[in-house]
Amino acid sequence: MERSTAIKVSGLGKRYTIGKQKDASLRSTLSGVFKSAAAKGDDFWAIKDIDFEIKRGDVVGIIGKNGAGKSTLLKVLSQITKPTTGRIEIHGRVASLLEVGTGFHPELTGRENIYLNGTILGMTRMEVKAKFDDIVEFSGVAKFIDTPVKHYSSGMYVRLAFSVAAHLEPEILIIDEVLAVGDAEFQKKCLGKMSDVAAEGRTVLFVSHNMSAIQSFCSKGLLIENGELVYFGKLEKALSTYAFGDEFKNNLNLAEHTRSKGNSPSFKFSALKVSGNYENASFPSQFPIELTISFIITEPIFEMALGFSITDHEDRTLIECRSFRQLTELNYPKPGEFSIAVTFTPNLNSGNYSLNLGAISKQGELDYIKSAYVIEISHEKTGDSWYNQDLGQLVVDHKWKLT
Amino acid sequence: MPKTTDSIERKLRMSKITIIDAEHRKFFPSLSEIRRYKDLFFTLAWRDFRVRYAQTTIGFLWAFIQPIVTLIILTLVFGRFAKVDTGPIPHALFTTCGLITWTYFAFVMTNSGKSIIESQGMIKKIYFPRLIIPLSKAVVGLIDLSVTVLILIVLMFYYGITPESTVWLAPIFLIIGMIAALGVGIWLSALTIRFRDFQHIIPFIVQLGMFITPVAYPIEKAAEQMPQWAMSIYYLNPMAGVVQGFRWSVFGGEPPGNMMYISFATILVIFVTSLMYFKRVEDEIADFV
Repeated sequence: MERSTAIKVSGLGKRYTIGKQKDASLRSTLSGVFKSAAAKGDDFWAIKDIDFEIKRGDVVGIIGKNGAGKSTLLKVLSQITKPTTGRIEIHGRVASLLEVGTGFHPELTGRENIYLNGTILGMTRMEVKAKFDDIVEFSGVAKFIDTPVKHYSSGMYVRLAFSVAAHLEPEILIIDEVLAVGDAEFQKKCLGKMSDVAAEGRTVLFVSHNMSAIQSFCSKGLLIENGELVYFGKLEKALSTYAFGDEFKNNLNLAEHTRSKGNSPSFKFSALKVSGNYENASFPSQFPIELTISFIITEPIFEMALGFSITDHEDRTLIECRSFRQLTELNYPKPGEFSIAVTFTPNLNSGNYSLNLGAISKQGELDYIKSAYVIEISHEKTGDSWYNQDLGQLVVDHKWKLT
Repeated sequence: MPKTTDSIERKLRMSKITIIDAEHRKFFPSLSEIRRYKDLFFTLAWRDFRVRYAQTTIGFLWAFIQPIVTLIILTLVFGRFAKVDTGPIPHALFTTCGLITWTYFAFVMTNSGKSIIESQGMIKKIYFPRLIIPLSKAVVGLIDLSVTVLILIVLMFYYGITPESTVWLAPIFLIIGMIAALGVGIWLSALTIRFRDFQHIIPFIVQLGMFITPVAYPIEKAAEQMPQWAMSIYYLNPMAGVVQGFRWSVFGGEPPGNMMYISFATILVIFVTSLMYFKRVEDEIADFV
């Protein structure tokens, strides 16, 4: 059965005027009345031309760098500010949680703040009353419920605030980076609560920089870069596109590739060739991959090693191999152009991985290229059904038998 | 689990669709939406009242001290020193009656005027019809209003004066006063978002407003000596008609003249335009505060 639409967004854009605060002073507005051509400030589109459709029950993780427009998108979706262009269609009651404890008043007691915050979040007093005991129990601050919250520790404050929010029952829940608060135990509790919400078939939009939180309960990913929608769809694809960014394209001419470190004048990678015709396909997990790496040496180097590493989208190094023991003829290279080949078997589970190249001497890094290539690997055992999955990052040969 | 999904499905079918369209603009705030948020409206009013005297030693007594001291000073200055003739009504009583509507007006206007700026933290983080913030101040002000009414009743017993039969009109004048206060307050709250200058205008209006409003002096005497056009300007002050009308409804005497309707017309214009202006800036409030 086709699920119904929860949120439909088309042509959405939000413009801010930046630079001099032109609009914000009385004098400039008054003078603007008399001067027909009042100088305009610079326009800045925080989000632009965004289209997507979220189905009921989707749990969508919104990802992107700081300043990409995630928060603006949430603000527009939760009606806090009006879009400059476009249209949004929302089916159902929305609760947005861009902050925990919105409207909390320090002079009021915990009990009073539950009512205050609950109604601010869109509950009626009756609804708050019905859930009051659950909220207090979840927060774990029952003992201090009649104490003004200004006497609370920051942990207690956040726990109480989140508890109120956790008991909202909207059809659509919009959450911004609010799980980054509280201690580890409470965070776990919150994540559990969030998973419950998702499991109940509610629609959730969730912004976070915590990739494992997103991975643990989102099913879809929405990637925004510079205010534009880059990708909306499967979570894994969104995460890897985010992690590898522009370098997702095969960048085989390395001469112009940006170097984050190791910009030595004596050594430079010039080209990379990856074996097989896997341009648009993924590498099988346990098949060898051959890399052909070209580089130029302009001055003699004393003790050099080449290396490559494979990192995942959280920048964790899974594999790192160096040439020093095997490629002894290049341990003391003289100037010239070289080309070497290396073969390896990744043994990685399905996903996108970043291949990084490096050259190092005793004096330090000579050259380093992050994400010279993105390797997409598919592991045959990764299926959709629960019994057909090998989990974890690495693939290991293993045998089961009844003894 | 399927049960929950079912109930969500059912709720969804009943729930209505929200459309946010950049092209679509309304002239007036939606009354039905404000009604949907009535719990928040009362909760905000209740919060204001709860925290108002927090951490003060005498607490609610302040609600009595302020009007009583104002009353004593006004009676001294206008009644004793300036010897203003208030006819058969003792000056203290005359002034108390004027103060009821004026202090309510001043309170509601001041608090709703600065309310949006004060709630900016909330406005940036959550949606609700913004108008309920300034509107809720009209409820908060009712507490102070009851205090001044109580003082009036006590003084009337003391002086042995009974209200006229027209006293049933008093609540109507109060409501007109409330609309005036909200109209000015909503205008100021919306203007302050973009032009902080208006924050400094509010205390000014309160301070000077009392002198151009017949709170502690009767305007009827002055009206006889002033030209018609000057009085028309005087009555552009929305509270001139309200204060005078309210006092007449309690003590009787000469009924207020047609000039009163100038005040009421001003109130109507201010209130209607305030709602329109507020609606115009409402969508962008979160961008400016």
